[in-house]
Amino acid sequence: MATTQQQPSSDYVTLVSCDGYEFVVRRSCACVAGALRRMLDPNSSFNEAVTGRAVLENINGIVLEKVCEYFYYNEKNKDARDVPDMDIPPELCLELLMAADYLNT
Amino acid sequence: MSNRRATNNRIRGPQSALTDFLASNNISAAQIRTDYERRRREAQSRINSERPAEDSAAEVETQQTATSTENSEQRKKRKRQEENAIAKIKKNKNKNNKNKRRQRFAVDSESDEEDATWDLYAKSKPLPGQLENCEICNKRFTVTAYSKTGPDGGLLCAKCSRELEAEEKKDKPKKKSGARERRRQVQSRLLDGIVSLGAKNLQELCVEKVADNINDVDEFGDLPQTLLDRLSQILSKKRVITSRTLDLFLRPDLDKVAIYDAGKLESHDFVKIFAVIPNLRHLLLLHAGQFKDEVMEYMLERQVPIKSLQLEAANLISNRMWHELFRRAGGSLEALKLAWLDSSFNDECVQVLADNCPNLKRLKLRKCFHLDENALVSIGKLSNLEHLSLQFSGQVEGQLVTDLVNSVGQKLFTLSLTKFENADDAVLAAIHASCRHLRKFRFSENDLCTDAAYEQLFTDWVNPGLVFADFSSTRDLDYSNPDGPDEPVGLASKGFAALMKHSGSSLERLDISSCRHIAHSTFCEVFDGIKIYPNLRELNLSFIPRVDTLVVAAIFKSCPQLQKVVAFSCFGIRDVIVPPNVALIGIPNAQENIMINADALAYY
Repeated sequence: MATTQQQPSSDYVTLVSCDGYEFVVRRSCACVAGALRRMLDPNSSFNEAVTGRAVLENINGIVLEKVCEYFYYNEKNKDARDVPDMDIPPELCLELLMAADYLNT
Repeated sequence: MSNRRATNNRIRGPQSALTDFLASNNISAAQIRTDYERRRREAQSRINSERPAEDSAAEVETQQTATSTENSEQRKKRKRQEENAIAKIKKNKNKNNKNKRRQRFAVDSESDEEDATWDLYAKSKPLPGQLENCEICNKRFTVTAYSKTGPDGGLLCAKCSRELEAEEKKDKPKKKSGARERRRQVQSRLLDGIVSLGAKNLQELCVEKVADNINDVDEFGDLPQTLLDRLSQILSKKRVITSRTLDLFLRPDLDKVAIYDAGKLESHDFVKIFAVIPNLRHLLLLHAGQFKDEVMEYMLERQVPIKSLQLEAANLISNRMWHELFRRAGGSLEALKLAWLDSSFNDECVQVLADNCPNLKRLKLRKCFHLDENALVSIGKLSNLEHLSLQFSGQVEGQLVTDLVNSVGQKLFTLSLTKFENADDAVLAAIHASCRHLRKFRFSENDLCTDAAYEQLFTDWVNPGLVFADFSSTRDLDYSNPDGPDEPVGLASKGFAALMKHSGSSLERLDISSCRHIAHSTFCEVFDGIKIYPNLRELNLSFIPRVDTLVVAAIFKSCPQLQKVVAFSCFGIRDVIVPPNVALIGIPNAQENIMINADALAYY
């Protein structure tokens, strides 16, 4: 707890895929996902919140990259109307769906 | 003509498949050979002409003098013909909507006599495989009417043409799906009541994508039930639930199967559901026309512990089998929803149901055409009912409805009575007296109950506030007297005011369409912009002529959670400013929701 209060939480967080790829994304973007929002909540004492680093054991790098792309797409279109759908490669969509379900986005 | 006759009369020996194929594609070995010979000769003569004249040996000259003069003439002619043919193909492709005949005349008049003979020749043999080198890959190919023009004006072979076409197609839809397509999409979503800011969530995006590519999916893996349900809904809407796609939804560890359009499934598919999932508890099958007696028999034999069963249009199940179901599986049955049964399921079935299903909590019977008053008496015996929805096709006496409410009303959370036209004030009084837990209440299509009865129902009712209320089409039906009698019939001013006073704080969905006797002043009192209805999300005001811009604007102000307002045929609504996140549907001139700026936002 003490450490989180001493250093103000950074604007960026690191997401790590199961195969070791690291994605540094803006905190506000990562918080689009409900699960990540709770993991990274500075008021909680989760390890992820303290270190600003979330390891996602069941998401591989390819999927996580797409997930990060979605985070930015979502953030960019936050207040827009009639947003065009993001392009999702068909071969990825089932895995992405599982990831989306896990991350609660 | 003569040519064809000749081929028809020809007596042929045995031919190989290849020869047949070549013949059917108008390829003749003889022609290929002559073409080859010609090319060789051309190449030879070119080499000859390039050589210095003195180099050329006398023998060669003497050998060729006879043929070469003829050859050069032929060559010239052939070259010209070839050019003509290619020019013609290009012309054909370039002409857009011009009159065909006129163009042909123009061509004819341009060409000289020789070309005219070529034309004749070309007609009898439409472009019989002129050879040309492809502009891109340089392969030699046969020119057809479908050959494309390349980027530098030359012709392309079939393969390159196809690639070019594919590329063009790829580029095109992007250009097309511009503003118009998007606007259409927005209007379509608006009618569905979906107005949302920002992007769709990732799950929804992925589910839609999966549904688009369902034919490439081999299995869903372990998707959670909620996502399977959503997928089933989308696939059902697209009508692609077949025997193959059904397999994707069957997993032994599941306990629920929901297929919203089982129209393409056969009996053995339904049997397969029980075979794969022996512990099925919740089954929902709409348009289940092939759910037959033997399927039900199989389910009962396997002792599937079915708890909730929803079937629509399962008309091949006989009365005897319904009896069997209730006798053998009635003990575990907790929810039963049946609709669109017109060949079986009669009053007797309901009686067996009432005798054998003591644990039934949820019962919904809609459009079961053989049911009438006796069924209502039987339903009254189901003492554990918590949710009851009924829509009968025949006339039912009001007294029976009153009795039913008196006997099962105490425990009900849901009561939906649609089109009980003979239900009178006594029914509402019975509901007031016996119901204590209602959350969802529908009482629609009735023109007998008076406004005073509605007012009494909602005044000092011990029942907590309703969450869902539907009183659509409760109004007087005398066309010669559109304003109704002096004593208002149906949910009118006083009843509506009493309803909103009783349930206003908890209501989420309200349907008062066609309640045409509610006065403008009542609307203004109920929605005065000061009273807040914190949970109201959906509101249907269709066919109430007194609703106007003022009322709708006040509604927007009074209901912060509002998402959808349906207002068909409310011609008094004009140029209303619709807040973002609200779908206003059905206003006369299909104006788009006006985006409000920051100032107006502050006003709301």
